[in-house]
Amino acid sequence: MGVIKKLPIYTEKLPGGGLILTSLETVINQAQAKSLWYLLFGTACCAIELMCTGASRYDFDRLGMIFRATPRQADLIIAAGTITKKMAPRLRRLYDQMAEPRRVIAMGGCTIKGGPFYYDSYSVEKGIDHIVPVDMYIPGCPPRPESLLEGCIHLQEKIKKQKLSDWQEK
Amino acid sequence: MAELRTEEFTVNMGPHHPSTHGVCRLILTLSGEKVIKIVPVIGYLHRALEKICENRTYAQCIPVMDRFEYVTAMSCEYLFSNAAEKLAEIEVPERAEYLRVIMLELNRIASHLIFYGVTAMDIGALTPFLYGLREREGIIDLFEMTCGQRLTYNYIRIGGVSKDIPPQFEPKCRETIKTIREKLNDYEGLLNENPIWLVRNKGIGVLPADLGIAYGVSGPVLRASGVKYDIRKDDPYSIYDRFDFEIPTRENGDCYDRYLLRLDEIKQSLNIVEQALDALPEGDIKAKVSPNFKPPAGEVYARVENSRGELGVYIQSDGGKKPLRVKMRGGSFNQLQVLPEIGTDCLVADLVAIFASLDIILPEVDR
Amino acid sequence: MTFDELKEYISANYPDDMTLLDTGRCEPFYEVKAEKLVAVCKRLRDDEQLKFDYFCNLGGVDTGERMEAVYSLASYSMKLRLDLKVILPHENAEIDSVQEVWPAANWYERELWELYGVNVKNHNNLTRFLLPDDWDQGFPMRKDWDAPDFIRMPEL
Ligand code: SF4
Repeated sequence: MGVIKKLPIYTEKLPGGGLILTSLETVINQAQAKSLWYLLFGTACCAIELMCTGASRYDFDRLGMIFRATPRQADLIIAAGTITKKMAPRLRRLYDQMAEPRRVIAMGGCTIKGGPFYYDSYSVEKGIDHIVPVDMYIPGCPPRPESLLEGCIHLQEKIKKQKLSDWQEK
Repeated sequence: MAELRTEEFTVNMGPHHPSTHGVCRLILTLSGEKVIKIVPVIGYLHRALEKICENRTYAQCIPVMDRFEYVTAMSCEYLFSNAAEKLAEIEVPERAEYLRVIMLELNRIASHLIFYGVTAMDIGALTPFLYGLREREGIIDLFEMTCGQRLTYNYIRIGGVSKDIPPQFEPKCRETIKTIREKLNDYEGLLNENPIWLVRNKGIGVLPADLGIAYGVSGPVLRASGVKYDIRKDDPYSIYDRFDFEIPTRENGDCYDRYLLRLDEIKQSLNIVEQALDALPEGDIKAKVSPNFKPPAGEVYARVENSRGELGVYIQSDGGKKPLRVKMRGGSFNQLQVLPEIGTDCLVADLVAIFASLDIILPEVDR
Repeated sequence: MTFDELKEYISANYPDDMTLLDTGRCEPFYEVKAEKLVAVCKRLRDDEQLKFDYFCNLGGVDTGERMEAVYSLASYSMKLRLDLKVILPHENAEIDSVQEVWPAANWYERELWELYGVNVKNHNNLTRFLLPDDWDQGFPMRKDWDAPDFIRMPEL
């Protein structure tokens, strides 16, 4: 009831006094997609490209992506760099510390399938998808900042398409 | 009333901590805010590069070396090629040597610019990070137009370099040098006299020269403590003896000196690049090296001066097409060993400044 | 001092401690007996003419039949370089720690022990640090090492 009583105030604020009608789903999805705060989780070479993407030329902020140092404030892990067997439990732990809804981008060959360390390495985890669920894979060694940006835009589109019902089931 | 008592407690810093530049974990024992014991735990990025190199041919080792110290990947490539050339006694063409020097020095500048940005960010200033990485992009563009990669170049090969520079390289390079020279003034103006910067850095984390020597510290960290030791001058490799440049040193060995020294080094490296561009001869860029490169049996330890100290590689060959053993040595490995010595008895916030000023990156430590 | 002078100096002053190996192209490689290692290192460091005070590197080598430990030394003030090699048996290899000579050797020796299984005597902290804490698969840098999830690169 409260909202309906206040409606005149809201409508006056819109130019021409109109009304915007939309589904709750769209509002939530838009909000989620446009403020994907990512966890600063860089382990190896790809982290340098992640830094470049966050810095002046590529400007991650314009996608609404701001880095956070703690998992509790983050919506997204960009796993940038090799995950070794020693590091894998830590990644899982960080993932568990994040609040729902949470997402993971696997950046670079290493996080997809071990990358250049697939053969002959005794200590590299061959892909992170058996540690945490991955939403988006970005290939490259390292991926260029443009591909990281594109991957994030695709992720945003994926979020915008999600159904509220699926989201609740998780 | 219960008796008041104090107690030491243990804090885990890392392995995922934004100011450990990667995945280093420090177990700190604190008394109040004072650090009384530091135990570094490494190995979170141990990727077995040495084992991988043993199962690759010499040419295939170079991309692996790129991942060893990715911030200055050119040095690693140069190092490995140099060691292999020493083993097989290959003459490198003149032009290739000049191109190598240009790339090595540009890469050193790029690395120091990252240091400038990241250190300032650790201490709490975000603007220098944006500035430093902006100028670095100019250098990365140069690499990209030459070899097509931004970070892991695979450009310097055994016997020379993989491609000649494109014609637009030289004007663009001179322009970049000019911009960086101008911007360096801005950088200095931003931090050198900044009171917060001074308080956070001056007199913090003093590394006495004899301690540095005992722990095998090298590079800018040692030179900031007053030891004039630079492999480019003292054990010259490539064609560094042809250029006219200074080795800057500082006296105090604290975080502030280490920072100033790196800015001085950028200026010297800019000079070297300019001199190399002026003297760049025409000619071949690669010696004839068969694709089945097999150096004779033997062993060699090669080293270069990197932006983080001595970068070395030991190669033992048994005459086959794969090396028998490749051992990599990075300056950060020793710098991290010395951290418990100079980091105790300071505050946690100072520890962050010290860690940043030592410019430790973890792939060099863990390999 | 040039390399030839260094060679001469060493053959004159360290005749029974160090044997020149025929691998040196640019820098001399010397073999040192494992029992004498610490004493020789101390002398090299304190020698007024050499002053090898800079511990660059220590790498283990597994050649299949034997273990080797290769020490790379340099001198900050005299600008010299030298490599020492200690040859060890393949199984149950033991070596003395040189960390009293150069504290920098500490971590290098830990690594030697962890990846090659060479026991370092008189070391103050011989604990695991590169491999995961619960690692139980032996010494991975040995040539004959294998594990179920270890994939070798196929020959081309
Ligand atoms: S994918 Fe390539 S660049 Fe990225 S972390 Fe792995 S090795 Fe480094």
